[in-house]
Amino acid sequence: MKRFLISIISIILLLALSLSMTACGGDNGGGEGDDFEIDENGNVVTIVKIMFHVDKKSTEGQAYQKRINAFNAEYKDKGIKAQAIFKARTTGASGYETELTNNKIEGTLADIITFDAPNTAAYANSGLLYDISSLIPAEDQEKFFSLNKYNGKLYGLPIQESSAGFFYNKNIFRAAGIDVSAYTAENPWTFEQFKDVCARLKAHGVTAVDMRLDATKDETAPYLLYPFIYAAGGSFVSEDGLTAEGYYNSAATQKGFQFIKDLVNAGYTSNSIGPTDFFTGKVGMYLSSGWTIPELDNKYRENFGSRDGWGILPYPKDVTAASATGSWSYAITNNHHADKTAAVELLKFMTSAESSRAITDATGMIPARKDAVKDYAAGSPEYTLLKQLELSGKERPVTVAYPTFSTTFNQIIYRLNNTNLTDLLNSQARELQKEIDKVKDR
Amino acid sequence: MIKTTIIIFVLFFLAFCGFVVYDLTTAKRRKEVYRVKSSATAYLLLLPSVVLAFLFIMLPILYSLGYAFTDYYLLDPDNIKFILFDNFKELFEEISEKGMLYNAIKNTATFVIGVVPLQIILALLLDLFVNRPGFGSKIFKVCFFAPVVISLSVTAFLWQQILAPGEGGLLNSMLSVFGVPPHDWLRDPNTAMPCIIVLSAWQGCGYQMLIFLSGLSNIRKDLYEASSLDGANWWNKFWLVTWPGLRSTFVYILITVFIGACRIMTQPMLMTGYQEHTVTLSYYMYQVGYKDYWVGTSTAVALLMTIFIGGITLIQRRAFREK
Repeated sequence: MKRFLISIISIILLLALSLSMTACGGDNGGGEGDDFEIDENGNVVTIVKIMFHVDKKSTEGQAYQKRINAFNAEYKDKGIKAQAIFKARTTGASGYETELTNNKIEGTLADIITFDAPNTAAYANSGLLYDISSLIPAEDQEKFFSLNKYNGKLYGLPIQESSAGFFYNKNIFRAAGIDVSAYTAENPWTFEQFKDVCARLKAHGVTAVDMRLDATKDETAPYLLYPFIYAAGGSFVSEDGLTAEGYYNSAATQKGFQFIKDLVNAGYTSNSIGPTDFFTGKVGMYLSSGWTIPELDNKYRENFGSRDGWGILPYPKDVTAASATGSWSYAITNNHHADKTAAVELLKFMTSAESSRAITDATGMIPARKDAVKDYAAGSPEYTLLKQLELSGKERPVTVAYPTFSTTFNQIIYRLNNTNLTDLLNSQARELQKEIDKVKDR
Repeated sequence: MIKTTIIIFVLFFLAFCGFVVYDLTTAKRRKEVYRVKSSATAYLLLLPSVVLAFLFIMLPILYSLGYAFTDYYLLDPDNIKFILFDNFKELFEEISEKGMLYNAIKNTATFVIGVVPLQIILALLLDLFVNRPGFGSKIFKVCFFAPVVISLSVTAFLWQQILAPGEGGLLNSMLSVFGVPPHDWLRDPNTAMPCIIVLSAWQGCGYQMLIFLSGLSNIRKDLYEASSLDGANWWNKFWLVTWPGLRSTFVYILITVFIGACRIMTQPMLMTGYQEHTVTLSYYMYQVGYKDYWVGTSTAVALLMTIFIGGITLIQRRAFREK
């Protein structure tokens, strides 16, 4: 019996020990053993891991993989090898962000990650991102349209740029006798001119514009609609990103939201416009980003007769001109690798003019680098977006509480017609201020 | 975190081993040879389940309990500080200021009050309807149960099409036949939650119908025959025979539907997003924990919610206890 008992306890202890050892292995972050490999010549090769937010099989994913392959071919003799990890955003951007935070907890954070630009402040403030200000020369930084900066430090470089505008159906405009040729990125139309065009489209018997007021469950509505507030002279937070009260609920900000509300009240737009109504000729204008261009070129080409059947109009201006910018970026992480040399090499390669062109060819977006931009014909949709980006592109508010900003903005758009706008803005400003204070006080 | 996990695991394991040794030595001291052998085998067989239960049930509960008293920020997991009751203080402040948590509690209560009786009554009616011999009863059973096997996200999408604003929405286009103007059902604070209640009751009642059916099959047929001989009508039979026979089934359904209703999240999340008039406690918890990254605050809500649901469930069990 005694022997039996001893053997049971021995087995239990052995199991406990083996489990503990397995768990201890996790302390290495699950990646320590994969940080290096020995090549066929016996040389040590540093592995640099880069995590992407898209599916490997998507057009964008394939473009990234091609660039990674090109890097590996070029750096084969330099002892660096890149390894791509694809974590598709199956449940929206937040799902990918959850993956990032889980990796940080587990200690398995990739050396380079892709991330949505408005999160720069929150990620940098929490120490997720590595300060690359001194690693990227100033002359290289100048080649980009925008940079991911927080508190004056550089934390990321954009993969591509984006700009949005009003896609319009030229056939409908012609039939309604509306001439908008004078409204260009260099000479944008005013709020009043915009309303006038909407009124004429309505009189023509079509829904004037799809402002994407239904897209309030993710980042779409904030991304497409925030420029109206800047155009009206409003803002969301102070320059340092620490004060929301007095900015988010200022009279100018209210004026921007009121403009959108007026469009709804006048029957020019609504939240009940079908997702394909513009493409099937039921709506005159459609607020969207560059990602709609490939859709119009490929999926709906027949509906417009030719590429000449549609165009892009800039955002209307009021006090000033403002347009949407910002897309996904690369950043080096503060992971267990102290030496960032290999990661910097990969970052530079992935943000080179060649990579920039290769990726935007796949996505239809604007390259992040000025020297990678193609010569678009004046007046073409791509030209309008690019010029608008250069002349009036204004980034979304830089604040450590960006997720709360995005939520509160969506709530405003959702409740625009059911609530008193002044009260609504006051409560949203309070909410955002509370969150900023909470993050800063931590 | 891993070190803490190992320490907790070792402590738990030592406690388990200690219990095993104590049990076996007690049995040996009492000279219960058979029990020593059988218990030892039982403990060995139990071991994998105990380890799994610890890793996947006990450990998350212990961690979330602990996190409720910390300032755990998801983006900064290496820097967690104990802040005692600050999270709870913040939550109570938010309730008193009638913030989002206040709305979450109000909406969850509205949902529970609406969906629990509606779903149970619907299930009972369907159960009585299909529990009759005759043509089509099996087809109806399948039809009524079908929504249960459809994914919540799919049903939420379908109902979004039904409730879509403007004339394109199915419900609006049907109502327009009677001259009713189109309505934005999900944006209107007065109609959004009732719509979610109806959708949830519709989807869930098929499952409860099946449980009621199994309860009905346990009621002796001779009771109905006896009551018929005594001149009982349909209502008398239901009230004096069927209902008492379904009492324990009803209590089970009441408790499970109540707990399920308290945890509602998917429908408002997919149908309206994070809005004042539809946010629920689980949705609030998700938003605060995953979107705003405040895991500490989120787990504090989870802890309060667990205590609340547990308390109400105990009250329900006591209230419906067999006398």
